[in-house]
Amino acid sequence: MSVNYDQILEALWETIYMTGAAFGFSLLIGFPLGILLVVTRKGHLLENEPVSKVLNIVINIFRSVPFIILMVAIIPLTRLIVGTSIGTAAAIVPLVFYAGPYIARLIENSLLEVDKGVIEAAQAMGATPMQIIFRFLIPEALSSLVLALTIAIVGLIGASAMAGAIGGGGLGDLAITYGYQRFDTLVMFITVAILVVLVQGVQSLGNVLSRTVRRN
Amino acid sequence: MIQFEGVSKTYQSGKQEIHALNGIDLTVETGEIYGVIGFSGAGKSSLIRTVNLLERPSAGRVLIQGKDISTLSSKEIRTIRKDIGMIFQHFNLLSSKTVYHNVAMPLLLAKTPKNEIDEQVKQLLDFVGLADQAQKYPDQLSGGQKQRIGIARALATNPSVLLCDEATSALDPQTTKSILDLLRKINKEYNITILLITHEMGVIREICDKVAVLEAGKVIEQGSVFDIFSNPQQPTTQRFVRSVMNDELPETLLAQIRNAQSDNAIYRLQFTGNSVGQPFMSRVSREFKVDLNVLFGNITELQGVPYGNLIVEFAGEPSEIQLALSSIRKSNIDIEEVNDYVR
Repeated sequence: MSVNYDQILEALWETIYMTGAAFGFSLLIGFPLGILLVVTRKGHLLENEPVSKVLNIVINIFRSVPFIILMVAIIPLTRLIVGTSIGTAAAIVPLVFYAGPYIARLIENSLLEVDKGVIEAAQAMGATPMQIIFRFLIPEALSSLVLALTIAIVGLIGASAMAGAIGGGGLGDLAITYGYQRFDTLVMFITVAILVVLVQGVQSLGNVLSRTVRRN
Repeated sequence: MIQFEGVSKTYQSGKQEIHALNGIDLTVETGEIYGVIGFSGAGKSSLIRTVNLLERPSAGRVLIQGKDISTLSSKEIRTIRKDIGMIFQHFNLLSSKTVYHNVAMPLLLAKTPKNEIDEQVKQLLDFVGLADQAQKYPDQLSGGQKQRIGIARALATNPSVLLCDEATSALDPQTTKSILDLLRKINKEYNITILLITHEMGVIREICDKVAVLEAGKVIEQGSVFDIFSNPQQPTTQRFVRSVMNDELPETLLAQIRNAQSDNAIYRLQFTGNSVGQPFMSRVSREFKVDLNVLFGNITELQGVPYGNLIVEFAGEPSEIQLALSSIRKSNIDIEEVNDYVR
């Protein structure tokens, strides 16, 4: 095998770090956007056609650019934010641009599942829009939100593997440089196995968490 | 008091305009139980939602205690909504929260101190008979229990009006009755005005004081429950009344009468109040030369007054029958010839 275990561990850490950091920032952007997508819809709490239209178009644009291209396309911006366009930290920026809009859509979907009747009951009680969002919509959708965010994390793990293309490091990078380009099947096998275990673990955790927050 | 003055609601559906409400005029007096009945699509849901502005009327005004609510700011609307409780056909409880939390919700929104919330929720759950279910979740309860939670929640802010949106339509007859009893108790004990919409005439008969019949967004008939049930004018109203006060003759009996080819007259007799108790049949057949044959009959209670309905075949000389009829009329029994109805 052309790599040692320390390298594998380091790559694993880089993947976790990239995914975690990117998820944190994406959530910060995606969550409010997701809520806005829902409440500005026609007939919803804060119906606002211009905001809704613009938001939808912008999110769709980001969602339609393949990650590998997005990564290259926003290099100037990445350099502006983190000072460099290569390395693990630099990979986080395109990951956020990739996952933020994705999370917004996922959150929109989950919140839309909430029974319209519950919102109506909330309005009839004299709840403010903010109260409806935080005391009715989010608690009622929480279980589904956790599952949606699990999907986002799994997607991020996958995308972070591509970050090797800009020297982002991580398991994907290891698999490409050593496993593929140097024909080291064992490295390829180990990295893929670790990714599989990682995704399984995240998904199981998400499932359990989703079940426990169903009643909150 | 709730007043609807020329309330209309028009929806835009593609290029088509849908008139859900078409100039509704209604007055619901304080302390009354007012029922609005109509088939689905008649505009009932739109109507009840104009009271707490879940729907804004396209024209006309809704006045609550004489105040036009359409001119209120959103903040004022939220304040007035706290004075108007609402319960729903599908309960609309938070499935992620306990029964306790659901009932406490309106108080939490109003930032009531915790110990007060505790006390009030206990009282409310006690009132609806679910004190022991506080820590359960809605999906662990039956439909009737869920509606009781809905009622407790609606009462949490001490409203003066309760809106019931098909509140018993998803419940079985037994449970419906118990929920209606609870609504009556709320009306009596707290003097809360209740406006309910339903498609079940049984609900109207059971608890309402007044009723309005809605069809194609218009009130086609309104009045006291007694008047509407005993003397419905419009075909739709008659259909609703017949749905709970069945006075259709069985088909076999109809065939028998038709085949008999007699020219005996058939009348519908309506009794109300104290005329119900009279032994008029034996008296009439003793005093006049007529034979009476009861084809159909029922007796029920409307707003606490007994009300009876008999379909009787009169056999004898026409002149004797006329004498018998006028004698019956004197004892406050309404008579209506229903020959056509049979032949």
